[in-house]
Amino acid sequence: MNWKIPAALLAAALAYPFIFRSNFAINFGVLVLFYALIGQAWNIAGGYAGQLSFGHAVFFGTGAYCSTILQLKLGWNPWPGLAAAAGAGALVGALIAALSFRFGLRGSYFALITLAFAEVFRILTNAVEFTGGGLGLLIPLKRGAANFQFAERIGFYYAILALAALSIGIAIWLKRSRFGAQLAAIRENEDAARALGIDTYREKVKVMALSGALCALGGSFYAQYYLYIDPTVVFGLDKSAEMLLVAMIGGTGTVYGPLIGSLLLTLVGEVTRANTEAQGLSLIIYGSLLILIIGFLPNGLVELFKLRWRRKARA
Amino acid sequence: MVNRKSRITRRRFIGTAAAASVVFGVPTLLRAQAKPIKVGLVHPITGFLAYSGGQSRMGAMMAIDEINAAGGIKSMGGAKLEALLGDNQAKPEVGVSVVEQMQEAGVSAYIGCFSSAVALPATQAAAKYNTPFVIDVGASDNIVNRGLKNVFRLKPGFNACVDDAILGLGEINKSVGNPAKSAVLVHEESEFGTGTAKLLAAKLPSIGVEVKEVMKHANPTRDFANLALRIRGLKPDLLVMSNYQNEYVLLARTLHQQKVDLVGMFSVLGGGFNYKFVKELPDVAQNMIDTNHWFDPTNPRAQAMKKRVEAKGDLFTFEVYLSYNAVKFLAEGMTRAGSADKEKVNAALASSTWSDHFMPYGPTSMVNGQNTGGKAAMLQASKTDIDVIWPAKFASAKPVFPKPKFT
Repeated sequence: MNWKIPAALLAAALAYPFIFRSNFAINFGVLVLFYALIGQAWNIAGGYAGQLSFGHAVFFGTGAYCSTILQLKLGWNPWPGLAAAAGAGALVGALIAALSFRFGLRGSYFALITLAFAEVFRILTNAVEFTGGGLGLLIPLKRGAANFQFAERIGFYYAILALAALSIGIAIWLKRSRFGAQLAAIRENEDAARALGIDTYREKVKVMALSGALCALGGSFYAQYYLYIDPTVVFGLDKSAEMLLVAMIGGTGTVYGPLIGSLLLTLVGEVTRANTEAQGLSLIIYGSLLILIIGFLPNGLVELFKLRWRRKARA
Repeated sequence: MVNRKSRITRRRFIGTAAAASVVFGVPTLLRAQAKPIKVGLVHPITGFLAYSGGQSRMGAMMAIDEINAAGGIKSMGGAKLEALLGDNQAKPEVGVSVVEQMQEAGVSAYIGCFSSAVALPATQAAAKYNTPFVIDVGASDNIVNRGLKNVFRLKPGFNACVDDAILGLGEINKSVGNPAKSAVLVHEESEFGTGTAKLLAAKLPSIGVEVKEVMKHANPTRDFANLALRIRGLKPDLLVMSNYQNEYVLLARTLHQQKVDLVGMFSVLGGGFNYKFVKELPDVAQNMIDTNHWFDPTNPRAQAMKKRVEAKGDLFTFEVYLSYNAVKFLAEGMTRAGSADKEKVNAALASSTWSDHFMPYGPTSMVNGQNTGGKAAMLQASKTDIDVIWPAKFASAKPVFPKPKFT
């Protein structure tokens, strides 16, 4: 294992707020790492284990609502709330997986069932009183690191950096571990994997729980960063599509794909929006770029780096 | 002997003086041209609220152009307002990014955001810099209830609109012998519809109207046939709606097609109750009542602006004049502050008693950033127009209540 790449990336991420000091730049960094985290959560299930999901927002929203409700209704501090959110995400992930895989759902059927679960959760939170219904939940302003409401954005930056680094660490571990190898076998040919003695049901439930936990951490962070959540914002299709997109654009089943995808998509989004005033032009440019990337690099942007490494190796 | 070259001749004197005047005079002229004041417009220009965001931007730009044409902010040496245009895409995270981006560009104040879900985090982000933020559209009372000293709202929020609606409806109902005794509430599922319906359900009994049922629908909903059948079965006197543009129009049209007889069709902040609705579906719109933000129809400036907007082929919707007046309110505060200093502008806006608007409000009176002088108007559609029917002071027509039956 070459540790130079993760070490260099971590050093660059740690130094970033000291080089780009403005709040705009730090907010940009937060967004890149945030999307990298939720993209990685999707990638662990969709990329590593081949369990494509259209409704990962179900875990994101679960995390956001879990820590917020614990905070508002039971007076929990948001830090342990973050851990509880991960637990809730894992539980929901395991439940959805257990139900779906018990009945043999695979491929596009599994993708659709996750979408249905996300919609069910959205409708439920909209209907139930203790989630605030359609009014959503507003976390009162109480600035301070102890309340997970840093006075400066840099605090949030390092918090999301830690979470994103954790997700990348898990991705690296998956590449090297027996569990990761079993997931790869399931992704490539599930029947063959079972024939080899892999308990595919158990491994798939485990990976969905892991993915759900990471995604829920992203949801909890989102609630603390923006201090307001509602069912459409956290369980909506937009969120599911965003995490799927960063992983797809960066490269699924790779360690750095979601980070690269997140960096590019956030950069393109911010730059086009900042430099265009005509209605919708930024989204047209954004969409065109996506088409070009998908058209010319179907395996994601990571492919560019792989090509370079291959050329270097040949030389 | 005096060197000929060093002698000051008349020609040389005039030349030197002219050059000096150019050298020293130009910077003076440049100094006289006050630095523009950047105002950030944070509206949803793309996404599902794009039409409303575009209307808000149009209203705000009309006010900015008017202020600049009239000589800018006088107390600041005629400083012009410069609009920074942002698209929040109706997403909270994008709204915050736009606020940060405009901060980098040296913004002095913000106007926005249409969606409460965006306004909540966006105002928080602006509060870090103490930059004034005037909410033009955004109904949630939480926006101004969090103790942020930089946030101001000219228009009334949920609670005030519902209070006005209940008061107006109670008066109108009483004046014709209380024909409306029961109601069914239909609302969309987000914060706007849910919050409004919740308040209405709690307050309607105070005017003798029993709430038979509260029904919620998703966004978008394109088929209201079953819901209309259920309403027909419940036989309420009033139907009270709180939904966005498309669902508002579709529900009204379905009830009209199914000929559901009601004493009145009533809404609070009805998203689809506008000139477009009256123009496109006059039979459906006729006699529907809405309590909403509206201009004072007796004010000639409002009528002149309406004509200007309509001459361009646009509709004079509430977003246009709410954003227009929000910019004017900000400009008046800056004029009194005499500076773009954020602390001074916030103080000026907080103590504002501005009355040079064309809304059916009194002078502004800010309490925790909310204008307590703001008031919603009760409106009724005819086949060709929309009239104010309450409060009587601003009324342009008498209410048609109860609504005539279909047969």
